[in-house]
Amino acid sequence: MEFAQVYDRVELDSVGEPLDPSGLRGVWINSNPDTNGIARMEFADIEGKLSVRVDGIGPDGLIDWGSVPVKLFAAAPGSRNTAGFTCTYDFGFAETRLQAMIMKGLIVLAQVHEFKDNSGRMEFFVREYFAVVHDRY
Amino acid sequence: MDFKLSGHLDPALTDPATRKLRTDKLIGRWLNTNPDTQGIVECVIEQEGELFKIDVFGAGPDGPIHWPTCRTKPLANLEEEAGQRAFALSATFEFEFMTAETYIRVNKGVLVIVLFASFRDGSKRSDYVNREFFYRVNRER
Repeated sequence: MEFAQVYDRVELDSVGEPLDPSGLRGVWINSNPDTNGIARMEFADIEGKLSVRVDGIGPDGLIDWGSVPVKLFAAAPGSRNTAGFTCTYDFGFAETRLQAMIMKGLIVLAQVHEFKDNSGRMEFFVREYFAVVHDRY
Repeated sequence: MDFKLSGHLDPALTDPATRKLRTDKLIGRWLNTNPDTQGIVECVIEQEGELFKIDVFGAGPDGPIHWPTCRTKPLANLEEEAGQRAFALSATFEFEFMTAETYIRVNKGVLVIVLFASFRDGSKRSDYVNREFFYRVNRER
């Protein structure tokens, strides 16, 4: 087994079972009501794959980014518990890469925004926090 | 100007001063705060013109494993909460058996590396995400 760090050298007791995405399903809201970034994310199964639909916040309200499939990540190479995800939105004028960790019930969402429209805008990075909407209390 | 969120219209993105932010907070030799890490033991960041050169060393059984060097453009780090204006990095390290995507930032003097590892060797290992913290030492090795 090849590895780039000892952490990657694991003994596996399960055989390639898919990660459990159940903890991600639902609607996640930005913890910052004054964000100028992503307002909400909704996860759902589309054609058997977990997808996310993002709403950005624009000057005149929410902007629906549509749905894209997400790639799931575990907490460790020997784990089957979902601990993060990545996905990419290509808007033509820009590409946005989302890289998320789930920590203590929050999604910590890193965003890399790269512009392709010669507008002179610099690529930028931002992190935002999201909590799942629930009705338990 | 096209946008998909208000942040795309942030004046700081076209402000020449943003491209001239200080890079010294990122540059240097960084060691893992956990001396027993089994992950990344060291990260060396240097500036080469408009690019940043990143050398990562993973913990190996017989000493550090030097990952393929990555060169990447800086990203304006416009985190609102702390009112920071700094650079962050997004770096991808390609191995035959794995891709390691990272984002790297400095928060209060601590370098934070978040790693998204994807295996393609059929080893049945799970793709995983991991986060580690680093402190800066003298740049001379």
